[in-house]
Amino acid sequence: MPTQTTLTSRLQAGGGCVAISVHGDRAVFSELSSTYPLKLLSPYIQDTTALVYLLTYGGGLVSGDELDLKVAIELGATLVLLSQGTTKVFKARPGRRLACVKPVTSSGLAPSSKDLSSTRQSLNFHIAAKGLLLLLPEPVTCFRGALYNQYQRFHIQDNGSVVILDWITSGRMSMGEDWAFSHYYSVNEIFHNGRRIAKDVMLLDTKDLNLKIPDRPLNDRLQPYSCYAMLILYGPQIQSVIAEITLKYNQLSVFKSKTPAPLIWSLSPIDPTNLGVVIRIGGRETEMVKEWLKDALSGLKRIVGLDVYRRAFP
Amino acid sequence: MYDDSEADTYIMLLLSDSNLPTGSFVASSGLESYVKHGFASSSSADVATVNFVRDSLGSYSQSAIPFVSDAHLAVVKFSEVMESDADKEMVAGEERYEAILETLTELDALYHVMTLNHVARRASMSQGVALLTLYSKGFSRPPSMSAFSSTESQDHETRMHKLLDLFKLRVRREETFGHLPVCWGILTAALGLTLERAQYLHLFLHARSLLSASVRLNDLGPYGAQQVLLHAVRPLVAAEATRCRQLRTELLRGVNEGSEDAAFGPANTWPLGEILAGRHDLQHSRIFNS
Repeated sequence: MPTQTTLTSRLQAGGGCVAISVHGDRAVFSELSSTYPLKLLSPYIQDTTALVYLLTYGGGLVSGDELDLKVAIELGATLVLLSQGTTKVFKARPGRRLACVKPVTSSGLAPSSKDLSSTRQSLNFHIAAKGLLLLLPEPVTCFRGALYNQYQRFHIQDNGSVVILDWITSGRMSMGEDWAFSHYYSVNEIFHNGRRIAKDVMLLDTKDLNLKIPDRPLNDRLQPYSCYAMLILYGPQIQSVIAEITLKYNQLSVFKSKTPAPLIWSLSPIDPTNLGVVIRIGGRETEMVKEWLKDALSGLKRIVGLDVYRRAFP
Repeated sequence: MYDDSEADTYIMLLLSDSNLPTGSFVASSGLESYVKHGFASSSSADVATVNFVRDSLGSYSQSAIPFVSDAHLAVVKFSEVMESDADKEMVAGEERYEAILETLTELDALYHVMTLNHVARRASMSQGVALLTLYSKGFSRPPSMSAFSSTESQDHETRMHKLLDLFKLRVRREETFGHLPVCWGILTAALGLTLERAQYLHLFLHARSLLSASVRLNDLGPYGAQQVLLHAVRPLVAAEATRCRQLRTELLRGVNEGSEDAAFGPANTWPLGEILAGRHDLQHSRIFNS
């Protein structure tokens, strides 16, 4: 667990802190702060549940942007973290934008302007006993040529619970982009009482093998789908949701088909205790995946209420 | 005269025998599911198979080779330390066995939490354990053949035998999993195969078992499968082996949390393959276990 001092220590550019605890029977923020280009908004608290929107100025991330968010959910509190619109990642450019106020590197030197700067987002969560995190952002959309790295770590104590959604679209359809970014790297690492129970690492880039082998662009590897999602559900508070989705999955039966289905999904238990599952979804259109998620997670209404559920899935 | 490269080649030949009881003949690593879901229908059978091999091998090499490498390096290092201890007439420390077993168990646990797919986990564990059994039953030296080697190499064999037996015991007690890449690293190091060859052979065997599966699924004929292996898979295996040669896990690399490890660590590179492999058990009828 982070101590209060680490949470309230001076924030660097793109940094943010959220700490939420329960006083009486109501959630309160003991910390809610962020620095440019990250912005946190909390329009809503009801009972022990608080809602926070993760925004960026200009509605996207440019090369060189580094976001670093630390979140602590104390005993019995529920945090719903959403974003507004997809997280757009712009094309990587040499150097940095003038407004980019990334701190100098540890060596004291600014990074070489010749390097293509990647965009980086790092989120760290601590979920105390009886705490619940719903991380349900809109998908990441990497534009042509974008370089994106995302690190998310979840430290769960005792009977804390999490719903983690991490998803990506193939780009701007209107611009003819279909898996045309340069590099996407996403890590989701989950610890329960200090023990690592899952580490999902996804790397999507175009591999340069050698000249003897014909190109196989990312697009060929991922078609016919233009949206991939990963959903992790873990913890006692969301067992009913897990049970519903698992039941649905076990009823599926696959027969020989001539063409790929418009949407497919898989479900695997994280460990034999059945306390958590990993679900992966691929869909021809982002909307289809969104609809699927809305339906599969409808059991969350019972847990966080209809209002919060509707904000996550309008 | 003991020739290292001759010994290496001989071990390669032994390990590439498709009749070895390693359980790979019941694994299709998602190919059966890929075909069943209609992903192979848009192009000819050989093109579809090559595409699958390419994407599957690309993801497998990036996620498994770091574990092969780390397990191999750890066992080689253990062996060297034990040998120098023997020279100095030190007592062969039980702690050294304990330490290497801990390292291998940690690697095994990391592979397990990074393989978030119950079908792939199941196939990996059964093939890994089969390799350990293969070593103890098929590659150990019976007393009647002790005259065929020197005392030093017999000491080495005894140590490796003990190490693999202890690791196998941990698997049997369910203290560790016995995943394929970790067991492959241990086995090849115990047999004295160089790391580069161990990596290369592991990728070749993965690709070849996909081609065998394709033949059993009746997508390719046995001659067609050989053509694919010779012409398309060969450069792919070579390229992947080169690309992943330096990849290591975070355990032996000792990276800090949050550092840029995108280019150096294990990762999944094919989300579609993950979904299809995970859906294997949903098939109404199936001939493979994965």
